[in-house]
Amino acid sequence: MRLTGKAVIVTGAARGLGRACALRFAEEGADLLLLDIARDLPDVPYPLGSSGQLEHTAALCERAGAATVTAAVDVRDSRQCALAVDRALDRFGTVDVLVNNAGIASPSGKIAHDITEREWSLMLDVDLSGAWRMMKAVAPVMVDRRAGSIINVSSTAGTVGYRHFASYVAAKHGLIGLTRAAALDYAPMRVRVNALCPGSVRDDPVLEGRMLAEIARSLEVPVTEHEQIFVRDQPMNALIEPSDIAGAALWLAADDSRQVTGSVLTVDGGFTSR
Amino acid sequence: MTTSTTDAPAAGCHSLVLRLPDGADPQHLLSGATPDPVRIGQTSVPAGADEPTAEARRHAESSRPIHRDGPPLRAVVLRYTDGTADLVLVAVRAAVPPAALRRIARRALGRAAEEGGVLPGVLPRPTVGGGPVPAQRSGPEWGLGEPELRGVVGSVRIDLGGLGEHAERLFLPAIALALSRYAGGDRAELGVLDLRDGTGTGEVVRVHVVEEHPDCSGAEFLRRFDREPVTPGAPVTPLPPAAAQEPPAVGVVLSPAFEEGGYTAALAPVFPLTVQLDEGASHATCRFDRGSVDASVAHRFCAHVAHLASQLAHGPGARPLAELELVPPAEREEILRTGGADGAGDRAPVRGRIDRAFERVAAAQPDAVALLADGDRLTYRQLNDRADAVAAGLSALDVAPGSLVGVCLERDAELVVTLLGVLKAGCAYVPMDPRYPAQRLRFTTQNAEVPVVVTSAAEFPQVPEVRLLSPAALAELGADRASTGAHRSDQGDDEGDGPAYVIYTSGSTGTPKGVVVPHRNVLALLRATAEDFAIGPDDTWTLFHSGAFDFSVWEIWGCLLTGGRLVVVPYWTTRDTEEFYDLLAEQGVTVLNQTPSAFAQLVRTDQRVRRGLALRLVVFGGEPLDVRMLAPWFARHPASDCRVVNMFGITETTVHVTAQTVTPRDVVAGSRSVGRPLPGWSLSVRDERGRVLPPGVPGEIYVGGAGVADRYLGLPELTAQRFVLDGATGERVYRSGDKGRLRPDGRLDHLGRLDNQVKVRGHRIELDEIRTVLLGAPRVTAAAVVVNRDDPDDPASSRIDAYVVLDAAADGATDPAEVLAHAKAKLPDYMMPTTITAVAGIPLTINGKPDVSGLPDPRNSSAATPAEAQERPETHESPAAGGITDDILSIWSKFLNTPVGPQDNFFTLGGNSLLVVRVLAEMRERKLPRVAPKQLYEHSTAAQFVEYVRRLAEATSVPQ
Repeated sequence: MRLTGKAVIVTGAARGLGRACALRFAEEGADLLLLDIARDLPDVPYPLGSSGQLEHTAALCERAGAATVTAAVDVRDSRQCALAVDRALDRFGTVDVLVNNAGIASPSGKIAHDITEREWSLMLDVDLSGAWRMMKAVAPVMVDRRAGSIINVSSTAGTVGYRHFASYVAAKHGLIGLTRAAALDYAPMRVRVNALCPGSVRDDPVLEGRMLAEIARSLEVPVTEHEQIFVRDQPMNALIEPSDIAGAALWLAADDSRQVTGSVLTVDGGFTSR
Repeated sequence: MTTSTTDAPAAGCHSLVLRLPDGADPQHLLSGATPDPVRIGQTSVPAGADEPTAEARRHAESSRPIHRDGPPLRAVVLRYTDGTADLVLVAVRAAVPPAALRRIARRALGRAAEEGGVLPGVLPRPTVGGGPVPAQRSGPEWGLGEPELRGVVGSVRIDLGGLGEHAERLFLPAIALALSRYAGGDRAELGVLDLRDGTGTGEVVRVHVVEEHPDCSGAEFLRRFDREPVTPGAPVTPLPPAAAQEPPAVGVVLSPAFEEGGYTAALAPVFPLTVQLDEGASHATCRFDRGSVDASVAHRFCAHVAHLASQLAHGPGARPLAELELVPPAEREEILRTGGADGAGDRAPVRGRIDRAFERVAAAQPDAVALLADGDRLTYRQLNDRADAVAAGLSALDVAPGSLVGVCLERDAELVVTLLGVLKAGCAYVPMDPRYPAQRLRFTTQNAEVPVVVTSAAEFPQVPEVRLLSPAALAELGADRASTGAHRSDQGDDEGDGPAYVIYTSGSTGTPKGVVVPHRNVLALLRATAEDFAIGPDDTWTLFHSGAFDFSVWEIWGCLLTGGRLVVVPYWTTRDTEEFYDLLAEQGVTVLNQTPSAFAQLVRTDQRVRRGLALRLVVFGGEPLDVRMLAPWFARHPASDCRVVNMFGITETTVHVTAQTVTPRDVVAGSRSVGRPLPGWSLSVRDERGRVLPPGVPGEIYVGGAGVADRYLGLPELTAQRFVLDGATGERVYRSGDKGRLRPDGRLDHLGRLDNQVKVRGHRIELDEIRTVLLGAPRVTAAAVVVNRDDPDDPASSRIDAYVVLDAAADGATDPAEVLAHAKAKLPDYMMPTTITAVAGIPLTINGKPDVSGLPDPRNSSAATPAEAQERPETHESPAAGGITDDILSIWSKFLNTPVGPQDNFFTLGGNSLLVVRVLAEMRERKLPRVAPKQLYEHSTAAQFVEYVRRLAEATSVPQ
């Protein structure tokens, strides 16, 4: 049990990678504050996590022996972020780990100059500024204790470009920049900040993930064809499994990585190494 | 053993776990119970209430501290699969004291519906937020905690069953008593957090225990504890809260009983070592931060408290407190075994004489080289023959076997020949250094009552009825008899019980004292080390140290009794690191013995010169080793090529007591360990009354076993004080006066001297001895002597500063320089004060001891007289203008840390052998001519030295 007694906040925890990380952390003894927007957004052309899915994540975690608290939080609202952290403090007394996992993949699928002002702002507000807002709420607690690990879930799109995903790529690159700068800010206080860059992750039905499906839809190609393209382009010729990402997140969360900060950990089967 | 964190908030929180009645709705029951609504967390636990998973969850929830910015109370309901549920309440103790927590619990259980309204006792939360993280509390001196484990909590259960109903009354006094014994004095500090009355939040008070009034019985001690607070001077004195700057390292939490459910008074140890006693419970719990306290030390502490409590409970009440045992007999045996006390019994005692052992080696390898000294080269046979001549000479002089014979010779072949010859004659040698002042030589000669002194020194003082003979004269006297073997003493002593040598060490009475060491001790030392160090005929040793320093005993006999080759290092080479380094390389020396100060210089030379060395064993002795200086050494000489051994020893226990092989890992860790006792030696750490102390607790080092010397020469009273029969083991042990502590694994940490004996550059100096000499000077009415370091990390910067009070009423000018001249006639150079400062009075502490901190800085005081200022002519002429002068004056100033004028003497301004080496190294770096250390000794004023260097520069700059 590598996270016994640690209090962990996971955003975007209703399904997908957020759920995968939460479950893995619960199995390792962590207690969890599970956050998700738990409603749809009109400008996002696919359904977001629901409150039912969030509660389901919590139930799975409690079954694994964790204490959980859930809250619907929109990371675009700093007040909601701060209240959520207070909930964690009330219940768990502290916060040891923050996983900034909440993010959207579309509106995308357009050449850069076709992206509207509103679409651009939304993407950066959720994928980049949202992580900063959560960090702003959590970091003082960690700085106080001279301990803590913040994991920003970026993407291979944080290190290379993708056609027709300019706002997403910009946001995920920005998240790596934020990671590096914040890592330097907090290093003297022994709070670590790292970025995790998943490649194309298989949509696991149990986790109810749909990232790959939504990206395929943005590109107007069938999911299976999209998967095949990735499998072909990836040096290890396989899609990434959610457990691969959860395992990397666990390492960054636990003391095994105590000298690791400001790093960018790619889990992409070698995709960005070419 | 549990693991959690010991941050301050956790120590300030308490918790209560309640089983909820069926159908209870805590949200409803608690509504309105507290000023702020309590939000109740709900967690479903995937197990029945009695399963381990549920227990783990309860434990997790009830040990989770409250965040300082949140509400002061947290309520969590744990629902189990069997339909039952627990309510876990966690609260900040200062805001929700035990009584308030109890009321909330009763309310939640539905038992206190009648007590409507907001619960009293929930206080506004003290403001603790915003400030810096509280400073880490330091643990007890005896804790031996592992800093890496800081924050990890260990726990020990202490059974109180045997104490009956008096458990609580006995427990606090027992802890206080144990602590005072651990502290090695008559006082202890103990924190007490009393939560029993339920309404108060509990304050930390300091209890000051004055233990062991000679007439204080156990019963009286308990009575006085009950009457707390009592008058000053009595056993228990609570200190005013203002004095409590930092919480004590050890404390007790007295916790109320909760019938409502499982209560935890503090979620983390309140003190680095906390004993929690629950009202009416049959056991206490000791919790400790493993960063401050080692688990085995904590276990022992708890056992000692229980043992004392049991004696207070069951023993006769009239028994004096001082008779109560801290350590039970079985544990005492075990501790003594840890210190090697049983090792001696395993082996037959070593018997025999040094000279006979040498003769056996000489017979086995007569043509092997035994000695190399300044061109002389002696085989074992030659050495044996020449020593026989010396023995015969002594015999011809009618020096009876068993006599003491003075030997005052330079380090050369004659020294070794003479020492061996003295032993062969059945006598014991009394080594004296030719560089000692005449008064000290005379004192030693008279004190030891030697009939003969073998010396080549023309200036050796004449003492009535003492014959002075050169080694040559002695050998000549014996030349005829040597071959006949007529000199041989047939008076037995094959056992080696008779003295082999008498070495004088610094004494606190103001006079040196002679330590009488029998032959068999030296043989035992070799048996204890030869195998482990693998020393033998292939080894080459150096004789580096003065015969008057017992390190030389190890060098000479360690080499010659194992068939090795002994390279005698001339005095001036011992002062010249580079020359000595070259000697090591050229002679292929394999075994080197050094003081750490001297070796530090060698390491620097080694880094610069980088010649191939054959060294395979380096032994440190003479002074504490700071292992960090070895880092550059290990970088060039892996431990697998050259073993480095740190040895702690005392003249009175035959050179060495312990050995610790130092590894690069120890260097990184900054280890202070001097290791385990040698086989046949034993050690223990005792308190002032000679009682064995447990591992971790500092006290006086006692040494027993094969190395214990015979006695102090002519000092039966002092001998009886220091060489005592140990009641615990029945063996003779030596009370070293050194402070140390045993580690649980049997290794010793050496912590310096208990009295004011100090080491300055490897020399053991009793400051009182210097003080006594100063007090003997005309017009001195009081004196104090302190050792200061300009650079705390640099032993070479140590200097002895003396302060004297001069009688103004006496005739003549009051001049510290006269005092200095007086001291110079009596003290060896290494004991000479660097400065003598006249002061109006010596400030004293309350205890009547000189208050060192109240003395002026000798460097800044206007009264300070740099030694020999008297001899300085009133001239300010510069001996030579220009480069060399400026360079040399600036180098001297730099290392002496004081402005230097042309007439200043290097040594009276604080120069010493280590600084000589540094000055010469700096000169080399500034491209000044290379100068041998000897020259700085011979040209010791700046003007003389500059003149010498200039002549040297002119000589070397002649065109070729």
